[in-house]
Amino acid sequence: MQTQTSDPYAYGVVYKKNLGHYHVHTNSQVVLCSLSAKLWKDFEYSGGKGGRKKRVTNTREKHMDPVAIGDRVRVQLADDQTGVILKVLPRQNKLTRQSAKPMPGAHAFEQVIAANLDQVVPVFAAANPEPRWHMLDRYLVAAEHHRLPVQIAITKFDLVHNTPAEAALLTAVDRYRQIGYPVTLTSANAQLGLDELREIITDKTSVLVGKSGVGKTSLLNAIEPDLGLRVKEVNQTTGKGRHTTTHLEMFPLAAGGAIIDTPGVREFGLYGLTPDEVAECFPEMRPLLGQCRFGHSCRHEEEPGCAIRQAVMDGTISPYRYKSYLRLKVDL
Amino acid sequence: MQTYFDDFNADFTCKHCGHYVSARTEVSGVVNRNHCPYCLHSRHVDLFEPGDRLCACKGVMAPIGLTVKRSRDKYASGLRGELMLVHRCTACGVFSINRIAADDDAVRILNSLRWGSDEIMDHRQARKIRLLTNADLALVEFRLYGLQVPTTS
Repeated sequence: MQTQTSDPYAYGVVYKKNLGHYHVHTNSQVVLCSLSAKLWKDFEYSGGKGGRKKRVTNTREKHMDPVAIGDRVRVQLADDQTGVILKVLPRQNKLTRQSAKPMPGAHAFEQVIAANLDQVVPVFAAANPEPRWHMLDRYLVAAEHHRLPVQIAITKFDLVHNTPAEAALLTAVDRYRQIGYPVTLTSANAQLGLDELREIITDKTSVLVGKSGVGKTSLLNAIEPDLGLRVKEVNQTTGKGRHTTTHLEMFPLAAGGAIIDTPGVREFGLYGLTPDEVAECFPEMRPLLGQCRFGHSCRHEEEPGCAIRQAVMDGTISPYRYKSYLRLKVDL
Repeated sequence: MQTYFDDFNADFTCKHCGHYVSARTEVSGVVNRNHCPYCLHSRHVDLFEPGDRLCACKGVMAPIGLTVKRSRDKYASGLRGELMLVHRCTACGVFSINRIAADDDAVRILNSLRWGSDEIMDHRQARKIRLLTNADLALVEFRLYGLQVPTTS
């Protein structure tokens, strides 16, 4: 995870951040770092017309962060276990989302959730709160956009086991398995599917994403009991999570690898995607692109001779996934 | 901004005749406006249940006749139920039965009694539907205008 260099400089990995401070794991120590002024000054982000690069010029844009969890950074060390991040090394990949807009019509920025990942683990509860498959499709599209492998985890499976809701859940799960996404059914309370998931995340850097209350941190506690992270029950009145986890943090796994726990999100906007690119992020649609009557110009909505619509009619593509595709295009 | 999925509760332009159609309940008299009141054509957008918008066909659904809705074994027989419009997709041939709205063209609905053909009744799905014929003219007039009490039952 880290390489060595001569003092007073070191290379390390950012594993935790809060309120402008970054916890960097270097060779043999943990260093509490801040950002160098030059890093801020040189920080560019994609914005403006045509995706033109801009620089942070005012305080309104300061909520953007040039450093993400998982970033490999160059640090200047001080004597008191602190340091300054001088440079962020080029990222292999990243998982991003669109920042919340302060007002309708405002420009949305890119929020990097984590960088240098091996896989994304979208976490959904079988019940309480109910799974929202369109939200899962958003995570899948974001991961496909960044060429990241996906491992879907369904938690709280014991709540629907041997109930009428189980059949509906398994139907939806099969839909994703047929596309090629691996799905693991787990339960932290019933100790179900944990060994399978532990095997999948070992020796890899994974990130858990999902809405509040689905059991991301509980799943992490079940996989690594020594962590003892804080968890809470969902609100019994609203059926929603209580946003117990409030910061991003990477945890090393005893068996090797690392996993990043994230706070639950209410919405997950796609960043950097155009409506024309969305179909490429649906693996089942990818082989059909260009086979429509209008070729690559087809929008796959109402055009005659559309190969994707025909595949939906034939049953090759799930109508639920096609509907998700249309909704994602509208939301972009 | 109007979105694709707002169509369910939004106004639309008829794909067949090009008329602008208001979907407001106070205009149409129904909660879910699903066909053009001028030409009675509809669109094939629902797959498993009304309003799911899961169908990728999106073909034009042409009105092929009338039937009556029954509480038990609906659409099969008996003439006491609500008057309903039968649509068939011109692209994939699927049948659909829809409520008649208050502002539908009554003359066109009356004319639709003559549209029913024997050809479509060969279809497996259509055999469950009892299409009204000219013999049921009195019933249709009663339902539309309240002019005459039907003698058939």
